[in-house]
Amino acid sequence: MSKKRNRPARPTADGGRTGGSGAERIRKASDKAAKAMRARRVSTNTRITFGLLAIVLAGLAGLFVFVQNSSDKARQAAGDRVVRADSHRLTAAEDGKVTIVEFLDFECPSCGQAFPGVERLRQEYAGKITYVVRNFPLTQHANAQNAARAAEAAARQDKFEQMYVKLFENQSTWGGQQQDQSAVFEGYAQQLGLDLAKFRADRDDPGTAARIRDDQSDGTAAGVQSTPSFFINGQRFDGQATYAGLKAAVDAALAG
Amino acid sequence: MSGQVTAAPGPAAATADPTVPFAARIIGWVLAVCGAIGTAAALTLTIEKINLLTDPSYRPSCSINPILSCGSVMTTPQAAAFGFPNPLIGIVGFGVVTTIGVAVLAGARLPRWFWLGLQLGATFGIGFVHWLIFQSLYRIGALCPYCMVVWVVTIAIFWYVTLRNVHHEQLFTSRGAVLLRYHTVVLTVWYVIIVVLIGEQFWFYWRTLLT
Repeated sequence: MSKKRNRPARPTADGGRTGGSGAERIRKASDKAAKAMRARRVSTNTRITFGLLAIVLAGLAGLFVFVQNSSDKARQAAGDRVVRADSHRLTAAEDGKVTIVEFLDFECPSCGQAFPGVERLRQEYAGKITYVVRNFPLTQHANAQNAARAAEAAARQDKFEQMYVKLFENQSTWGGQQQDQSAVFEGYAQQLGLDLAKFRADRDDPGTAARIRDDQSDGTAAGVQSTPSFFINGQRFDGQATYAGLKAAVDAALAG
Repeated sequence: MSGQVTAAPGPAAATADPTVPFAARIIGWVLAVCGAIGTAAALTLTIEKINLLTDPSYRPSCSINPILSCGSVMTTPQAAAFGFPNPLIGIVGFGVVTTIGVAVLAGARLPRWFWLGLQLGATFGIGFVHWLIFQSLYRIGALCPYCMVVWVVTIAIFWYVTLRNVHHEQLFTSRGAVLLRYHTVVLTVWYVIIVVLIGEQFWFYWRTLLT
């Protein structure tokens, strides 16, 4: 079977029938041989082989598209989790076009350093940007969790922003210490005119701890590893956490 | 012994006999080319092994990333399956294969016992290579590029030696004709299976390259 298929046309086999001059006969014969060679080249074997390769390549392409799509979706989902409906908004944009989310630890020194720049930005872009703050207390800071709880307890009395400012402005007095600073935070609550009994109850409420944990797990899902971490419209901000650095990114987002 | 090594009139006679199926006719080329590639790969691996022995901090040229890394493969016990580095077998084996291929291309006619001997060697090679593939994928968890070159040529050599012997030495003749006819289909399926296994095993890594 295979022998028959693979045998090329023999130029001399039908030479007698076609007649003509010797040169023409040879030319015709070699044409025929070339045609036979071409025909033989596209054998079933070759066709199946290329068919297989085409299937494999198509499968790879399909897989590639699928992976790209699903990773886009995963990124989108993590981006959506960067800000939730109940996240604390310090300022809100009228058009809702640009949203900055900061994952912070009230005790972390670089968050304290970024704070003045953030405040300046918030004032300058009041009404133009939505500024969201989310908790990401790090375990190496002894009072980060307490501070986050204090801010959340203040939020239950609609004084989140005031507590946020108070905690950062006084970071040098309570930060970097091993002793429990809860009493200091109670003092801030009193200064802000909060109902202290309610403040204490909210601070110790398991729901407050759960909320901080939710902030943290959303941050982890979005790739937060250190504080402060900023996201502008769900996109991670990798520049310098300074007024100038953030301003440039916000301007770009507003323009875009 | 009846078989003598005699030279045919010319190289054309050995390679272009139209009554011989294409798959069996190309044996000389397969042996010469795959043998040469295999020799080069085995030689490179040996040189890298020597470099690694003289300088333990040496980074082999084929250690590209955590998965494609021959440094981590070469230092495993599997890389010296018989007590000495595997590529030494390759240098000897592929050298012989290359020589046979060139001799066939030159028109040499080799006796049956010679071809059956080559079949034996190629069968050992294919078994060894598949053991190495298994070890690389499922025990070591890394791929060594030069080793993969050896996998590819060893499979091709085994396949075409077998087909040649099916035709000329009447090995498994009942099913042989089909194999001869669909020679590249079988070879492609063989390679695709290995590629799929590699893709599946290191999926977690290939994924990170895509995103």
